[in-house]
Amino acid sequence: MMQELLQSAPSWTKVGIFFGLAVLFLFVVLGFVTFAILSERKIMGFMQMRIGPNQVGGSWGLLQTVADVLKLLLKEDTIPKKADRPLYILAPVLAFAPAFMVLATLPFTNQFQFADIGVGLLYYIAISGITTIGVVTAGWASNNKYSLMGGMRAAAQMISYEVPLVMSLVGVVLLAGSLNLREIVAAQEDIWFIFLQPVGFIVFFIAAIAELNRVPFDLPEAESELVAGFHVEYSGFRWAFFMLAEYVYMFAMAALTTLLFLGGWHSLPFLDFIPGAVSFALKFSVVIYVLIWIRVSFPRLRADQLMEFAWKVLLPIALANIFLTALLKELF
Amino acid sequence: MSVSGEMLAFLGLAFVAVLGGILLIQLTKVVHMVLALVFTFVSIAGIYLLLSAEFVAVVQILLYSGAITIVMLFGIMLTNNQKQEEEKGNRWRKILLLLGILGFAFAVYIGIYNLDIPVQPTTLHEANTEQIGIALFSKFVIPFELMSVLLLVALVGAIVLAKKDDEGA
Repeated sequence: MMQELLQSAPSWTKVGIFFGLAVLFLFVVLGFVTFAILSERKIMGFMQMRIGPNQVGGSWGLLQTVADVLKLLLKEDTIPKKADRPLYILAPVLAFAPAFMVLATLPFTNQFQFADIGVGLLYYIAISGITTIGVVTAGWASNNKYSLMGGMRAAAQMISYEVPLVMSLVGVVLLAGSLNLREIVAAQEDIWFIFLQPVGFIVFFIAAIAELNRVPFDLPEAESELVAGFHVEYSGFRWAFFMLAEYVYMFAMAALTTLLFLGGWHSLPFLDFIPGAVSFALKFSVVIYVLIWIRVSFPRLRADQLMEFAWKVLLPIALANIFLTALLKELF
Repeated sequence: MSVSGEMLAFLGLAFVAVLGGILLIQLTKVVHMVLALVFTFVSIAGIYLLLSAEFVAVVQILLYSGAITIVMLFGIMLTNNQKQEEEKGNRWRKILLLLGILGFAFAVYIGIYNLDIPVQPTTLHEANTEQIGIALFSKFVIPFELMSVLLLVALVGAIVLAKKDDEGA
């Protein structure tokens, strides 16, 4: 259905249809964010032998996040007097808009994809870099030393970890012979790339967590050191935008991991009766679970360890992985 | 000149690109200027997309609005540059400048509008990432390798500079 739409002649009706679909998708993502936050709190609760949210919306706390979001929307919107006003307002937009833009190229199933562009993988990495500008801008515009330090850390970390992230993906691109996400998934029909590229997968996953600014790489917003990092001065819905961007990126990164290493919509052998969408959703949920699990399990790294780890450990491993992959591809 | 979706997209992108350029010159705070530059870079990437040069567009965003701008922002913020540029020059000079710019714009417009580029059918819009790769590694291997040597020299130079600083301190 989607493919026909993408290849049909443009008209105003089509514009309307695409707009409607995008809005629908935005609400799906918002729904995901709502329940991802809830499940994160619940799982963290269980792992730390607590109960987690259990008051609002039944004993599972199903409406807890909805209540939190309502509170955020009703909260007073404060802008510090000494802040750089236009940049302070622009920063949350700059941080959030790319998070939703990257979702456009991800093929969730064989049928459902918004844009099938040749360089889908690079598109994701390029657009997600714009968020860093939003974060740095927020840190600077707030005119607060903690937020500035958070912004600097975010910039340094995201630039450093983008390098091993891209390098670890070169192996996948070599094997699939394409940057198009559909073709990468199609190349995993027989065997998932996680089995052909285990080293690449590990490097990718670590770098992805660092790109997401999640524990153990959450230095830009380290509570015990920087109060709240780059969004110290933000409150209300502007703060909610940063939070939203973070969780939409979690959605996007988990989807990308599923597509690149876990075979996308392909099912396991003998389980071909499972529809592609369900298969994708299951793998996606496992990735989200592992992300939450890692958050509960690891302590935060120190800033100097963080940089050394990216440049002295991850990057050489990723380069060796590229070399090995190219060698093996030529030999076999 | 008919109004098509492509035309509208081009006009929008071109407007943002030019606006970003003007703001870059007109704004007084350095950080604002860099952000205006980001808007220009991104809309130029959009224009590349309209020309179906996907790879160039994505690399433009990745390198220019991603890496280079952040390095610039980093430098500006670390040096804590709160200076604002002050306006100078008198009114006559401004009017003359405006006239000059308008004249130049008119001349360029006339020149471009009547320029007739013979269109040859090409296959450059299909799978151009692959085509770039093939061209780089078959036709342009030597320039490509020279570039890598140049980058290596730059890298070594940066390391040497950083090392020296460390010993001196």
